[in-house]
Amino acid sequence: MKVLSRLLIPAALLAAVIAAFAFLQLEASALLSREGLGQMADYASGFLAPDLSPAHLRAIGHGALETLAMSAIGTLLAALLGLLLALPAAGRFGMLLQAASRLLLNALRAIPELVWAALMVLAAGLGPNAGTLALALHTAGVLGRLFAEALENTPPAPGEALRLSGSGRVAAFCYGTLPMLWPQLVAYTLYRWENNIRMASVLGFVGAGGLGQMLYMSLSLFQEAQASTVILAMLLMVLAVDSLSGWARQRWVRG
Amino acid sequence: MSTPQAAFAADRPRATEPGPALRLSGVGHSHAGGQPALREIGLQVAQGERVAIIGPSGAGKTTLLRLLATSLKPDQGQLELLGQQPWTLSAAARQRLRTRIGLIHQAPPLPPRQRVITAVLAGRLGLWSLPRSLLSLAYPLDRQGAAEALGRLDLADKLYMRCDQLSGGQLQRVGIARMLYQAPELILADEPVSAMDPVLAAYTLGVLNREAQRRNATLLASLHAVELALEHFPRIVGVRDGRILFDKPTAAVGPDELAALYANEQLECEPAPQPALVQPLNIPRC
Repeated sequence: MKVLSRLLIPAALLAAVIAAFAFLQLEASALLSREGLGQMADYASGFLAPDLSPAHLRAIGHGALETLAMSAIGTLLAALLGLLLALPAAGRFGMLLQAASRLLLNALRAIPELVWAALMVLAAGLGPNAGTLALALHTAGVLGRLFAEALENTPPAPGEALRLSGSGRVAAFCYGTLPMLWPQLVAYTLYRWENNIRMASVLGFVGAGGLGQMLYMSLSLFQEAQASTVILAMLLMVLAVDSLSGWARQRWVRG
Repeated sequence: MSTPQAAFAADRPRATEPGPALRLSGVGHSHAGGQPALREIGLQVAQGERVAIIGPSGAGKTTLLRLLATSLKPDQGQLELLGQQPWTLSAAARQRLRTRIGLIHQAPPLPPRQRVITAVLAGRLGLWSLPRSLLSLAYPLDRQGAAEALGRLDLADKLYMRCDQLSGGQLQRVGIARMLYQAPELILADEPVSAMDPVLAAYTLGVLNREAQRRNATLLASLHAVELALEHFPRIVGVRDGRILFDKPTAAVGPDELAALYANEQLECEPAPQPALVQPLNIPRC
């Protein structure tokens, strides 16, 4: 019995793999044959000579700035909206508003950026506006939830002490709660900004502007050289933002 | 002597009505579990009086001070502070009353990353407009006021330190400085010197008493150290098992009463010190 069950699992996995191949009609021989590999190598070799002409680089610079601006403004809007929704979601204004804001945060988060972007392209037209809104809406859902959790875990005593000396709610929050919440807000926001810069590159595929739109065009027109430059630019940008946010985290979050 | 007082009391309405600073009759309070913490408390303190509250651990000293700070609502009885009944007031009026009451916490709940100057200036948030409060958060507006309050406690050099760089005793003194900056008419102090060495504790209690006298503020302090209470305060209230055991001038307190107050309490544990406000910081990475 034990031997049987020990053999059964690998056998079932193997059967599943074979069934998957059969279902997708992937032909291993064609995929891995000399011609198949050759064709792929031919296509890939087109990417080895990126187009570095000044005109194309200028276009890429413009696209990169657009992507950067989209992700930065989108994340900033999301952080503000997220904090606004996190306050009721952490139960500060009663049960009813807590349930409502949690539902809203869940809805915002459940719809992926790409779907938001497709919707926003229809609502706001082609271009970076749609991308910015799409990032802001999805990220607001994510950050709102993270902020609400951070808020719930923040000790209430400093804010309560200030209320006891007559302070208003907003002032007590800013002096008593925010100083302890702040590092986490910054850390979460920076992390989502890193995510969003990658996502902003992809949003262009549905017409929401930035580098992604250039990449999509180049690929559609089989301009491998141009596409290769765009991919390089994306890589550089992501590396730059990662190190920038790493520095910011060092500066504001730790210590 | 009158000039600094005027500076401190500049933007605060003084109570015009004479009469007691606080009056309690038949006040009782139970913990959330239903276990009674205070029973049938009757207490009257005149404006400008200085009273020490002593008693064994768990006697209800902190609960009494929290009732007076309007942090807790009494379950029974009448509570009158500075001529007003806090729990019959509207929320806004209660907040105005609270600006006239200053509570010194045993472990001052100050955000660890906040600068000392900001923590002290926060004492007057109840009197400041919201724009002014927010502006002061970015750029401290009354550096001189904060420095003066800290200077009275020998902490003027710590103005720009962060609260998590201070020792427990220094933090307690920052909490006192915040209260001095708030300049309330009723000062409540819950074990204000518990984290200080005996010399510093005596010095700080001296400052607290002098400041209260100078401003004609009422001072109620709970103390663990009986000798400090007897030395610095003209009136002593002994609390045990949620009741007031005695309430008399210091000169009239005898050793028998003190012995009765603390009898059979030799093995009662100290309440655990409040955990420091350290927040676990988890930084997400993908």
